[in-house]
Formats: sequence, structure tokens, C-alpha cells
Amino acid sequence: MFKNYLTIAWRNLKRNKIYAFINIAGLSIGLACAMLILLYVKDEVSFDRFHNNVGNIYRIVSKNKYNGQEYKSTNTGFLQGSRFTQNVPGIKTFVRVQSGAEDIKTGTDVQSQDLLYVDSSFFNVFTFPLIAGNPQTCLKEPRSIVISEDMAKKQFGTTDAVGKVIMIKEDSAFQPYKVTAVARRSPQNSSIRFEALLPFKESADDARNNDNWYNFFLNTFVVLQPSANLNTVNTEIQKFYVRDAGQTFKEMTEKYGGGGTMGEYFLQPYIDIHMNPELGAQNGMVNGSNPTYAYILSGIALFVLLIACINFINLTVARSVKRAKEIGIRKVVGGERKQLILQFLGESFLLCTISFLMAIWLVILVLPLFNNLANKALAISYLLDAKLVGGYIILYLLTGILAGFYPALVLSGYKPVDTLYSRFNIKGKNYLQKSLVVLQFTLASFLIIATFTIYTQFNYLTTEDLGYDDSNLVILHKDRLKHTDAALFKNELLKNSNILGVSAKNGGQWGTAARNAIDTTIQFAYETVDEHYIPLLKIPLLQGRNFSKDFPADSTQSVIVNESFVKKAGWKTPIGQTVNFWYNNNETYTVIGVVKDYHFASLNQKIGPQLFTMKNDNMYGDYYVKIKPGSATASLKWLRSKFKEFYPLSPYTYKFKDDDNKRAYDDVAKWKQIMLFSAFLTIFISCIGLFGLSVLSAEKRTKEIGIRKVLGASVNNVAAILSKDFLKLVAIALIVAVPAAYMAGDKWLQNYPYRITQSWWLFAGAALLVIMIALITVSFQAIKAAMANPVKSLRTE
Amino acid sequence: MIKISDLEKVYRTEEVETVALNKLSFEVKDGEFVAVMGPSGCGKSTLLNILGLLDDPDAGSFLFNQIEVAHFNERKRADLRKHNIGFVFQSFNLIDELTVFENVELPLIYTGVKTAERKKRVEEVLDKVQIMHRRNHYPQQLSGGQQQRVAVARAVVNHPKLILADEPTGNLDSNNGNEVMQLLTELNEQGTTIVMVTHSEHDARYSHRIIRMLDGQTVTENILI
Ligand SMILES: Nc1ncnc2c1ncn2[C@@H]1O[C@H](COP(=O)(O)OP(=O)(O)O)[C@@H](O)[C@H]1O
Ligand SMILES: [Mg+2]
Repeated sequence: MFKNYLTIAWRNLKRNKIYAFINIAGLSIGLACAMLILLYVKDEVSFDRFHNNVGNIYRIVSKNKYNGQEYKSTNTGFLQGSRFTQNVPGIKTFVRVQSGAEDIKTGTDVQSQDLLYVDSSFFNVFTFPLIAGNPQTCLKEPRSIVISEDMAKKQFGTTDAVGKVIMIKEDSAFQPYKVTAVARRSPQNSSIRFEALLPFKESADDARNNDNWYNFFLNTFVVLQPSANLNTVNTEIQKFYVRDAGQTFKEMTEKYGGGGTMGEYFLQPYIDIHMNPELGAQNGMVNGSNPTYAYILSGIALFVLLIACINFINLTVARSVKRAKEIGIRKVVGGERKQLILQFLGESFLLCTISFLMAIWLVILVLPLFNNLANKALAISYLLDAKLVGGYIILYLLTGILAGFYPALVLSGYKPVDTLYSRFNIKGKNYLQKSLVVLQFTLASFLIIATFTIYTQFNYLTTEDLGYDDSNLVILHKDRLKHTDAALFKNELLKNSNILGVSAKNGGQWGTAARNAIDTTIQFAYETVDEHYIPLLKIPLLQGRNFSKDFPADSTQSVIVNESFVKKAGWKTPIGQTVNFWYNNNETYTVIGVVKDYHFASLNQKIGPQLFTMKNDNMYGDYYVKIKPGSATASLKWLRSKFKEFYPLSPYTYKFKDDDNKRAYDDVAKWKQIMLFSAFLTIFISCIGLFGLSVLSAEKRTKEIGIRKVLGASVNNVAAILSKDFLKLVAIALIVAVPAAYMAGDKWLQNYPYRITQSWWLFAGAALLVIMIALITVSFQAIKAAMANPVKSLRTE
Repeated sequence: MIKISDLEKVYRTEEVETVALNKLSFEVKDGEFVAVMGPSGCGKSTLLNILGLLDDPDAGSFLFNQIEVAHFNERKRADLRKHNIGFVFQSFNLIDELTVFENVELPLIYTGVKTAERKKRVEEVLDKVQIMHRRNHYPQQLSGGQQQRVAVARAVVNHPKLILADEPTGNLDSNNGNEVMQLLTELNEQGTTIVMVTHSEHDARYSHRIIRMLDGQTVTENILI
């Protein structure tokens, strides 16, 4: 019996190649998407779970209120870990993890190496296997270093590196550090990944000074006793903190002011970190994710699979006119309904099996691309995980049943007396088929509009005028740069005519707060620059003047602020106003100029208050070099040689400011690509389904077409009749999709302070595109049918 | 074998109501060969479908081997049908995707006959209808006469007690038609009861008795032997 089913299923496939192609193409793409997403979700869910102790590992985090608004923070400092562990029962041990970089060398070449400073308990808390070395002792000596196998290979050409020496710069001289252990490459599904570990540095004074309760710069993890109760520990932590730091907090607020409360410490489960957008993987922890990604990706995969299943259902039911005779005969010769259901299910499973195999092949093919899009490093071997294989089998069965069950039920219900006398026709108006087509095109149109929206927003983000000139601007990084040294290097660089200007600025982004005379606190971006910075970047000056060498006070007491700062401070006449810095009550600064607001951060953030100073004690960290357009190669060569000459012990790195700015939108760029792919896939699968339906409908209406033509209908006429019904469905789909896409787009755009407005042409364009694609799809078949010789089509009846 | 009394069947569509069978009664004995004749649309096919348990009557009684089957549900009818009744249609009704052999094999599969036994019985019956040499062909590759012989083979492979034939020669030329009639006669001689709908007086003469219908009722019965 089974063999008979299979035979007929197979022959049916071979005989109806279009139908087989449509179903297999659709289902295999749908299944491949679903498989990739399962892989993704599995990876997300398994993230960080490889640590033996993971259920008992927590991070110390805090929440606080400023001006009535709650802020959560993942950062802690010297004291939290050690003091809580000593004083709160239930906490077994702690480890502090601070991210950083050091200049290192093994030969003559100096490199900047990202690394983590960790307490020696690191390997007790986390399970990172070592290839060589003792996990208990490897971080005890101050000048020891633990490196990854990759770094060992890179530096020494072998993983057998224990005992070898790496030179690390301390202040200005290189000191030898001994490799005490070599670790396996950190798993890709780990929030902590490292190339090198150094022992955490803490002086006796650091550990003693109570002010350090308010110095946050690292992640502290604790391990609880298995018997400990989290709530009790949280309560005890807070109690101890209030007791131990209460006095200090009072002194600090008296001294510096500020609207904060003491705040509240609590423990965050380690496995919660990866997917928590609020208290996420920061400060040396990597690959923080967001459950939204998993939801959106799963949603898209389900869309694609659903659309493919709809194709299967629609085409199978539409084809049933052809198969009705077979069903009738089978019943006449003794087939029962149950057996027919099994037969049709068998057929859908055959298709599903072929599609499944194709899907596996597709997954292997596109995994690298997917990794890139989803920010993952998933390997093909991951597919062999038992749970995942189980998931795939369930997926396969579900698809087979989802696609096969309804048609099986319908087809097996045909009565032989109806089907055997060529009176047969599908009854009713096919509402199900029509609604399914509408559903498909609604989903596809939704994704197409969403893609249009993302593209437009991305385009806006990357081309919008920033308010300054970021072109041909090279940034060279040099740590701890004194103002006097910077001047020497600047003069040297300017000797080359390709170099149009040089300025120096603090490295990275600093922020702090200030009080003005009226005593409002202003959080602002704190920029230490020289007198060339504002002209070099062509930042428009609205009032007052730029810093100048002619005013010696500029390097001690003058500041320039932006419009937002002025607004926040509530000044009518900003020039001459004074600013008190929050952290130092004694210093006051005078405003000498106001610049127009410009996008100093990315367009993902609203322009906030900004303040420039030339203060001598603030060190520079970056050179901004304006080069002649088109001179990049020559200029970079010049910059490199001069840098090496001036700073032989520092690693040379450069970047272009405009590239750097664009990097802020990598995330959007990725989503742009994901949406483009999913829109393409959904419209493709929807259209091949529509094509199949139009073929079947044209076949069914051969006689009608023949008669119409004999009666004088033109080709256009007939083609229009055949296409009209389908286009109506697409139009309905658009009516549903447009408002839905508008609302979703609007919600998404709210994340951006600077955004496009979704204009009507965006929707009109998308709608036109969908209609064009659908029209091409159906008219292709309609025209073919309309051009057929009517005599032929009437004779075959 | 068959006894129907006051059988009624009405088709209702949105606009019209067609009385296909109107208080029809007659009897068919074991081993009989009965021809049913009448103008197109008088209800012959409807009658045959009810006799073959493909359709149920709206009223009346239908005794099949002394059992009342008029009220049987779909499953019971299918069960009775597959063990007792073979069908032959005017339009052959072979499955295009199956070969001659597979088409004939189908009823045996549904009655659960083992593979080896199936092969034996299919070959036997294909021999009998002289189509053995075409066993691996598909229906479209055969002439009409050959297709109908395959259909007959399929109808008898399960050794049914009753064969229902709805204009079996309607689509055939007279040579092929005669061959099929010959086959049916042989089957009847071996003990199979046959009810055959036909338009041809010539074919009707192969039977023992002719039932003539008009508007869903019997008008006359001619006894030929
Ligand atoms: N499924 C059906 N729906 C509606 N009317 C039907 C159906 N089947 C048969 N009829 C009608 O019932 C009458 C008898 O049909 P049928 O038994 O096929 O006649 P015959 O086989 O004698 O030509 C006809 O008028 C036919 O149109
Ligand atoms: Mg008829």
C-alpha cells in the first residue's frame, strides 16, 4: 500500500514539474529560514550556559534615581565585590573584570592589545578550559599574563607558550610579563571572550578608600552558595551598603551637590546578561543581544514558511480538479477515506522530505552570510546538536502536516459519484484560497514597505548634514598626550603640503556635569581640544570667539559651549557666564563662545549639551588631521612615518572620521539587509504560488477562453479577464498591509530622534512595486492562455 | 441478490429539483445478466450508483443479499462494496498515473491481499482479458478497447459477485465493443451477476432481461431467455 502511495506521489511530481518546483522551492526556502532561526535561537538560549557554576553566578548591578528618573547601571568599582563578599553571608567569592588595552611587543613591533584585568579567582568563577597552566595560580603574580591559544600562535607560533615572555608597557618602559597559562579559544556563545588576561591591579589605598564606593569602571561578578537565597542576599547587600557607605555618600553630596539618592544594589543572574538590553553585556563583555532580534527573526522565518505552506495548500486544492477522478476511482475500487488521507499526507511528506534535504543544503550554503547578518559565529557542526536535530525533525513533521492536512481532508472527502461523471467542479467561491493569497501578499507587502522605510531612514542617517565637515579627516590615536608634545608633532606634520590642518582632542568620549550660577545640573559631553579644532571641523561659531593663543587665560579658564548647553542652562546672554564643574567646586570657567549644535555623536542620539575646553591638565588622545582631497595614500604614508619617528613605543592606528561616523549605523545596515532578504523571499515565494494558481486557473478555464475567443474576444481582453481576479486579491492585501506597515514603521522610527517622515510616495512606490510584480506573474500565464488556438482548446474538451 | 422497492432519488440544486428515481422497484437474481435501457437523463446512472453503494437513495428499500443497505453509512458501504461489487464505466476511469498492472492491482491492495498473491491474481486476470503484454503501459498508451478491457479486469480481479457496467461500450467501436461484451458474457457464465446500462439494442441482446426506464421509473421488462 505504502509503495503504491509513493509511486503515485513520485509520478505526480515528475508529471507536474511546475507544481513540484513551486512547492519544493518555497518549502525549502521556508524550511531553511526556519532552521537558521532555530539555530540562532538555540545559540541565544544556550549563551553563557557552558560555565559549570552558571546558576550561581551573578553580577552586582545597581539602580538609582536622578530627578525622579530611574537609571540602572552595570558598573561597579574596587569595593563592591570584596566588601560584599566579606560581609554578606551566602556570597562565596567574587571576581572583578575590567576591560582595557596595553601596548605589547614580543619582537620589535609594538601592538595595542585589548585585554581584561581580572582577579585571580577568575577561573574559579568561570569555566574557561586551559591548554596549559594552573588555573588556581596563573593570575597570582602581578607580572603574569594568561593568553588564548590564538594569541599564543600569533605571538609565538605555538600553543606551547607557558613560560615565554611578553613585553608590556608600564608608563614609558616595557616590562617582561610571564605567560602562566594558555587558554582555549573562548566559546563564541560567551559574553566574556578574551585574548589576554592580566591580574587586576589594586593598591592598598584603593581597597581602603571609602570614596571608591562611587568610582565605577568595571564588572563585578559573585558566586553564591548553592543554598543561598537570592532575595535575602539582595536585602543584606543593600543593608550593608547603606551602613558602610552612608557617611561617605553624605560627605560627597555635601561637597559636590547632585540630585542623586544612594541607590540600590542587587544581583543580576549571569545568564540574564546576554539578552538584557537594559543591563547588558558592557565594559569588556561582548555580543550583547536583544530578545527583540530573536522575535523579529523568528517572525520573519515563520512568515516565509507559512507563505510556502500556503502555496502548497492552495496549489494542491486547486489541482484537485485534476485529481478528483483518481480519488473517485480509488473509492469505487474500495479505498476508504482514511486511506486516502494517508495517501495525500504521504504526498505532502514526500515533497516535504525533498524540500527538507534541499533546506539542509541551503543552510550550509548561506550560513556564512547568515552569521554576518545575525552577528554570530555559528559553525555547520552546530547543526548536529541533539536538541537542534530534534527541533528540525519537529519542524519537518509540522510543515508536512500543516501543508498536507487540509488538502488531504478536502480531497479525501470527494464523492465518487460527483467526480466520475465530468460534472465535477470545485464548489463555492474558494474563499479559503483567496484569503490565503491575500494573507501571503499582505505579509509580502508589509515586508516590502518595511524595507523601503528602513532604506529611507538609513539613507537619511548616513547622508544627513552633520553640521560640520567630517570629510578627509584622519584620526590618529595616541594615548596620554601632553599639550606641549602635541604642538611639536603638529608642526612637523604640517611640513607636508598634503596636510591642510592638524588639531588635537581628548580620546574617546568624556562626559561630566556642571552647575551654573542658578544651580541647575547639566550633564554634558566634555571635549578637550586645541584652538584649531573648531575651524578645522568647520563647526559654525554663533556668538563670541574661538579659543586663541592670544588669550593666555583660554588654556585655564575659558570654555566654549553649544546651543543645547545654553538652552539647558537657561542663559539669555551666554557669553561671560560661569560654569562650575560638579567634581571640583573650586574651579569656575567663563563662557567665551557658543557654537551651533552639530552631531558630535551619531544621529542615533539627540544632540546634547557640549562643552569645549583647552585645559592644560586634560591630556589629548587623538590627532585630527585634515588632508588634501585625493591625497590619502601619500598622506597616510607620511603620517605613519612621522608617528613612528615621534612615538616608536606606541602602536600606530588611524581611521577616517567619516567611516567612523558610518559605523554607528552598522546595526541599521544589518537590519536593512535582513529586511531586504526577507522581503525578497516572501514576495518570491508568494509570486511563484500565484503563478501556479494562475496556471491552474487558466487550465481550468481553457474552454471558457476558447469560447470567448471564438466569440471575438481579443488577446488583451482575455488576459485581462484572467488577471483581474488575482490582482483584486493583491489590492486587498495592500489595503491591509499599508496601515499595518505604517504603524510598525512609525513605532520603529520613534527609536530615532532624527528620522524621516513616512511619506505617501513611500507607500505608493511599494504598492506599485507589489502590483507590478504580481501583474507580471499572472499576466505571463494569462497571455499564454489567451494566445492559445481556441480550436485546439475546444477540441480537447 | 438485489431487491429494490420504491427507490427514490432527488437532486436539488439552487434553482431546480430533479427527480432522478421515482419509486423504482425491481429485483435481480443471483447469476442474472440484466440490461437497463432508457433515454439519456432518465436515471440509469443514478440507479447504478445506488446499486453500487456509491450513493444513497432518499427513500425506499434496497436489499443486498437480503440485507437492508439503504441506510448504511459511508464506511459500511465502502466495506461491502470492495468485497462484492465491480464497476465498469463508459469513460473507462483508469488512473492515468498508474500502469495497467497497477490499476488492476488497486482493488486487491485495498482489500489487503498480500503482494505475491496480488501478482498472481493480476496476471491471471490480465491474461484473461488478453492485455498481459501491455501490463507496464500507461492508460494513455492504449486504445479505447484495450483500456476498457483493463477496466473490466480491474472490476473482476477481486472476484465480485456483482458487476455494474455503465454504458461499457459507449466509447468503443463495434469490434472493441463486442470484445468487451464477450468478456462480460463469459464472466456471467462463470456465475457473476451483471447489471449493465446500455443504449445499444445489440448489446442488450447479450443479457437475459431488459429493464426499460423513463423518467426514473421502469416502464417495461423484456425477458430474453
Ligand atoms: N449530481 C447531480 N446533481 C444534479 N442533478 C443530477 C446529478 N446527477 C444526475 N442528475 C440529474 O438526474 C437525472 C438523471 O441522471 P442520470 O442518472 O445521470 O441519467 P442517465 O444516466 O440515465 O443519463 C438527470 O436529469 C441529471 O441531470
Ligand atoms: Mg448515464
